[in-house]
Amino acid sequence: MIEFKNVSASYDGELAVLRDVSFTVGDGDFVAFVGTNGAGKSTTMRLANGLLKPTAGEVLVDGVPTTALKTSELARRIGFLFQNPDRQICCNTVREELLFGFKALGEEGPAAEERVDAIIERFGFDADAEPYLLNRGTRQLLALASIIVLAPPTIILDEPTTGLDFRECVKVMDVVRELNEGGTTVITVCHDMEVVGDFARRVIAMTGGRVVADGATFDVLRDGRVLKEAHILPPQVTEVSMILGRDEGCPEAIAQADTVPQMVAAIAQELQLEGRAAAEAAALANDVAAALSAETVASAAAVVEAKAMLGDAGADGEGGR
Amino acid sequence: MAKFLEYVPGNSFLHRMNPSVKLICAVLFAIACFATSNLAFLLVLLVGALVLAASCGLGRETAGLCRAVFAFSLILAVVILLTTPHGVPLVPLPWGFIGTGSLLAALTVIVRLMAAAIPLFLVFYVTKMNDITNSAVKQLHVPYKYAFTFTSTVHFIPVFMNDMAGIMEAQTARGVEFDGSLVKKVRLMIPLCVPLLVSSVRKTNSAAIAAEVRGFNLRTRESGYKDYPLGAGDWGALAVCVLVLAAAIALAALGL
Amino acid sequence: MIEFKEFSFRYREGEAPVVRDITLSIPDGCFVGITGAAGSGKSTLTYAINGIIPHCYPGDFYGSVTVEGLDTVEASLTDISRVVGSVCQDIDSQMVSTVVEDEILYGLENFAVPKDEIPARVDEALGAMGIADLRDRTIDSLSGGQKQKVAVASVIALQPRVLVLDEPTAELDPASSVAVFDLLARYAREHGTTVVVVEQKIALLSDYADMLVIVDGGRIRFADTPDAVLAHSDELLALGVNVPRATTLMNALGAQGLYGGPTVRNVAGAAAALKEVLA
Repeated sequence: MIEFKNVSASYDGELAVLRDVSFTVGDGDFVAFVGTNGAGKSTTMRLANGLLKPTAGEVLVDGVPTTALKTSELARRIGFLFQNPDRQICCNTVREELLFGFKALGEEGPAAEERVDAIIERFGFDADAEPYLLNRGTRQLLALASIIVLAPPTIILDEPTTGLDFRECVKVMDVVRELNEGGTTVITVCHDMEVVGDFARRVIAMTGGRVVADGATFDVLRDGRVLKEAHILPPQVTEVSMILGRDEGCPEAIAQADTVPQMVAAIAQELQLEGRAAAEAAALANDVAAALSAETVASAAAVVEAKAMLGDAGADGEGGR
Repeated sequence: MAKFLEYVPGNSFLHRMNPSVKLICAVLFAIACFATSNLAFLLVLLVGALVLAASCGLGRETAGLCRAVFAFSLILAVVILLTTPHGVPLVPLPWGFIGTGSLLAALTVIVRLMAAAIPLFLVFYVTKMNDITNSAVKQLHVPYKYAFTFTSTVHFIPVFMNDMAGIMEAQTARGVEFDGSLVKKVRLMIPLCVPLLVSSVRKTNSAAIAAEVRGFNLRTRESGYKDYPLGAGDWGALAVCVLVLAAAIALAALGL
Repeated sequence: MIEFKEFSFRYREGEAPVVRDITLSIPDGCFVGITGAAGSGKSTLTYAINGIIPHCYPGDFYGSVTVEGLDTVEASLTDISRVVGSVCQDIDSQMVSTVVEDEILYGLENFAVPKDEIPARVDEALGAMGIADLRDRTIDSLSGGQKQKVAVASVIALQPRVLVLDEPTAELDPASSVAVFDLLARYAREHGTTVVVVEQKIALLSDYADMLVIVDGGRIRFADTPDAVLAHSDELLALGVNVPRATTLMNALGAQGLYGGPTVRNVAGAAAALKEVLA
């Protein structure tokens, strides 16, 4: 459990980067911190694992203030994955890298070796590979593996998917989800709102060093005031349902849909209510689609030309902004 | 507080001085510090350097610098203390003694290094990197490639320091305890030079490419957009520094 | 006009070519988004346009790449950079200055832009990226988004006809990413600049690009309008390329027979299409 009690923090005693932040993350929680660059999210993460000490207030890990915990004790309780895996990786082989944490904590031995073997197997690593020669995604996975091999009860991830391609992103987040389902507390900073929507159960939104919202993921991501204040764009399906919800008479299920399956189910239900009329509309839409798909074969050049014309009109409109 | 060797905006006399003159003055000043061993004169120079630092609002940066130089010169001072048996003996040593002369010599080293270092470092705090490069190229006729290499190196120091801090932080999060004795700290830091080196090579490589695709090779002495005329203040500062150097040499010649 | 003709490239230290048999023409003024899984060769394509290949990274170069009639193998890197402006991935190491204004001046000085033209060029570049107020700030004091805008401004000050950007929003939050793309697209439209951008954020690319190029295993799998490319969303996902969630939603509805309209590439498109479905 991690508790922030009226925490303020600053670097070098200058301007406060965090002001009066309070929240509690319970065991087994999955929390995402969202907000713009510089909102104070990374600072919050560094406070949570004691890399930074508060200038006011208290950060408690399992009831103990971080100021009273030694580095190694904190490391045992909280695993921290940095945004840039290259800062973390420092050994010559994948195997050494995975053993490094045990060494740092003075816990080498057969039990550690066993855990390392298990994780190499699970991630499908080449144990003798040189970490620097691996590609970015694999390095990120290695950095994550070298943290979770220590089985900390809490893991903190600072933008774990930045710089990864889609497949690598899914791989990393699947591992994280699995850990969370096994009881590990997960705290993550994440800019990818689709990832936040798919994985987090709770969202804390920050701006200018303050917490502006703390609640169930989609309660926060649907709150117009929060979105505006913290400069957040909601996940796309949520945004679509919010737009549709503005229309009068929009069914509640559609206005509240946050995932693709929810939205599909809501629309299916709505259309069935409308019965045959809907079926006819669908048939009509199909015809339109057939007609249009012939057009999409048009060359890129033609599209550019059309866009340029549209663009001129658009530019005039935007000039007023 | 500004990062190590990074420009701090301002409008003080030092900020407005010609970059080349600043460099020359700092070098003259440093030579003067090394030319004399007169402790009183060195103290005057040190106070002068501190006043300069205060005049451009860099008190805190300079204090930090003084601490670093002090720590370094302290090692030298201790060596001198133990190996220069001069003056009235105070503490007997198996191979000689520590005397009043040894103390004086040790003190001189500390004061000299601090006095010499401050103006050199101040140059980088009060001058934009590009101004140093362009002025050195235009007025001192330093070849651009050398000037650029030099300023880029200085430019990268805080970047690498920042990287090292990040790397150490990442290892701290894994339970490595850097706090403790210096020896232990250094031993723990050695393996971390690998990630630092990897990121440095990557960074310098991409910096070189980035400069090249922005016409680095086309640059000549005439390229710089800004001109750096010498004002009365610049000539005055130069004169003062020449006088300081002359005084230092005179003192040395007189054996004072 | 950028033309790849049967272009293949193998880095000297690499075993196999990283890109092969690339044939592609990019018309003037086109906003092109290149994406693909890690290691697919997408960055190599941009290096071929700005001449970093073969001038900085030697290797085996087959076929030809011409930019505005300039053969990138024959022309020197400097000559290419008069036509192609590049914004590198690592912004921090690209910066050569301590202050924003100096960063913009750097390229202008190198290319010997007449001194009486320089102030207007600096003003225009800063204005185009919406950072006129940052002129005297130290680069160190800027946020990631601001730095990115400075990097782009320092290149557009050179008025290149082609602009190449390698993952310009990788480090940015969504709001800043959109802002950078917005400014970039507007600038390109107003100046007829061709833009080639490598990007992982598919939702952004789909929204802004005129042409999407999907690279897989060093080959081009798709090169077409975003709508046409996104129509193959299942194949894209199989290649490890994400698809905007709005597209996935409409495709899922299509699979249920609830939507039969054209492919949707952004939130606005999905909302409009759904309004029609529900009407």
